[in-house]
Amino acid sequence: MQLYEQLTQDIRFEEGLNSCMNCGICTAICPAAEFYDYDPRMIAGIVQSKDESQIEELLKSDAIWYCGECMSCKTRCPRGNCTGLIIMALRSLSQELGFFTESEKGRQQLVIKRVIGENIVYRGYCILPENLIPELHPEQGPVGEWIFENRKEVYKRVDANYCGEGTGALRKIPKESLDEIYQIFEITGGFERFDQIEHFSKLKARSMGFSDVDEEFTDYINHTYTTNNGKHNRP
Amino acid sequence: MKHIVIIGGGIAGMESACALTDAGHWVTLIEKEAQLGGKLNQWSFLFPDFTPAEKIKDTLFDKCQERDFSILLKTEVKSVQTHQKKFNIETFGGQKLEADAVVVSSGYELFDARRKEEYGYKIYDHVITSADLEKLLRPGSDLSVAAGKNPKRIAFVHCVGSRDEKSGNHYCSKVCCITGVKQAIELKKRLPEAEIFCFYMDLRMYGKHFEELYREAQEKFDIQFIRGRLSEAAEKMDKSLLIKAEDTLSGRPLKMNVDLLVLLVGMEAGKGTATAAAKCSIEYEDSGFLKTNDTFLFSNFSSQEGIFLAGSCTAPMSVNDTILHARSAAMEVNSWLRKQ
Repeated sequence: MQLYEQLTQDIRFEEGLNSCMNCGICTAICPAAEFYDYDPRMIAGIVQSKDESQIEELLKSDAIWYCGECMSCKTRCPRGNCTGLIIMALRSLSQELGFFTESEKGRQQLVIKRVIGENIVYRGYCILPENLIPELHPEQGPVGEWIFENRKEVYKRVDANYCGEGTGALRKIPKESLDEIYQIFEITGGFERFDQIEHFSKLKARSMGFSDVDEEFTDYINHTYTTNNGKHNRP
Repeated sequence: MKHIVIIGGGIAGMESACALTDAGHWVTLIEKEAQLGGKLNQWSFLFPDFTPAEKIKDTLFDKCQERDFSILLKTEVKSVQTHQKKFNIETFGGQKLEADAVVVSSGYELFDARRKEEYGYKIYDHVITSADLEKLLRPGSDLSVAAGKNPKRIAFVHCVGSRDEKSGNHYCSKVCCITGVKQAIELKKRLPEAEIFCFYMDLRMYGKHFEELYREAQEKFDIQFIRGRLSEAAEKMDKSLLIKAEDTLSGRPLKMNVDLLVLLVGMEAGKGTATAAAKCSIEYEDSGFLKTNDTFLFSNFSSQEGIFLAGSCTAPMSVNDTILHARSAAMEVNSWLRKQ
């Protein structure tokens, strides 16, 4: 099946693209476009052109991973399009076909799957205090490091119920709720998506010369997490 | 002698009334305001040649004065009933008229720019509409209240309330592009030191001399045209405005500080035309403008026999197009009456 045709089977794509007249209002409102070398209008332009080679290039590019899915574009488009929804469809297809491993930002899908993805399924949270490992988050500085090391006491001081039973912020999510989330992932194909990300990342890691010895692909993960080619921002 | 009632005393109603009187009919022109002329009363100079609106209005007014027909000012139609091929019209003042034909020339309303809240009209001091600016362009008027004492940068926003699903208006208002070009030139003449930018999606210079005026704006008046639709405006401490758009031709997001923001508001069918459609039981389109029998040969015919349409109640129209449409309406009414 052609790539464009595959996109059209995604309800988000159908909702996200009617017809684009290239007015640029989505780019004008886009917070990501302000920071990254990213132009949502051009994304809409490329998919609208139905040009297979350009769509393939897009699926393999960094461009589709800059969007924060804030949906500001949805609030402005005079034609009722939503570039954020187009991006969601492109990301899904890129994950499905393994094209995400072709770009630096795309390769970070593995980290996102393992941290945010698995947190959601097994803990019921996107990010947890123990994820802010100082060596991976130098931006948090010495204060962040101190909070990380003393997290149990710190969160208690701010009245959070960190990992505790019952109510309160950061509480342990009860088993019945987690079972429900598990079901959602099973039924909607979330776990299949997880497997695809692992599978294609493994292939990529090998082709990039990372050792297979480590099951967790620690070196590859560290590489995708810490490398920056410096080409993501506007010149 | 046949009697024709015309609903709406703007330029379309005035022109139709004169032409139908000349054709030998008795005409009653009904206008809800205290004076004839409609929206033209709010305009100062007309594109593309800066003709004073007053001149057109006075000429039309004189034309009406020279002819013998009746004008009902401050009068609104209460009901229109069809009875044995005649139209019985009752006004809110209790007047009852019997007509052989009706012409609806109820005109348009300007888009209310407050509906595009992101542009800050009536929220920020230095955001005005093209209609506001038109008043400020009259000789001797003071621009400084709207633009500050010494405006350095002025931006025009095209398509405000037009070609915009978010406003509910899918259509192009047709006249705003050239209005923007005209007003940008007028402002540049008044404020030669100011930089002027027009933010557009497409420039639709459809009429005679329009494209030439656009070229003149660029070449002679150094007006900058940037292809991109504004996402929002924000007021700063000094009352200037920070605007955001994408310069789509260079593919870069753009932020600019301006001292005055002019919103080129589009046309809507408005309440007057909706009311006229309901009273006359005639069909209108999704846009709210009245439905004509076809686009080509029957553009003055409504969905009901004997009721005719003239001017911008059918679609956004310039002054000259409105006058021509009103004249053709008169011709159609005349031919139709002769066949009865």
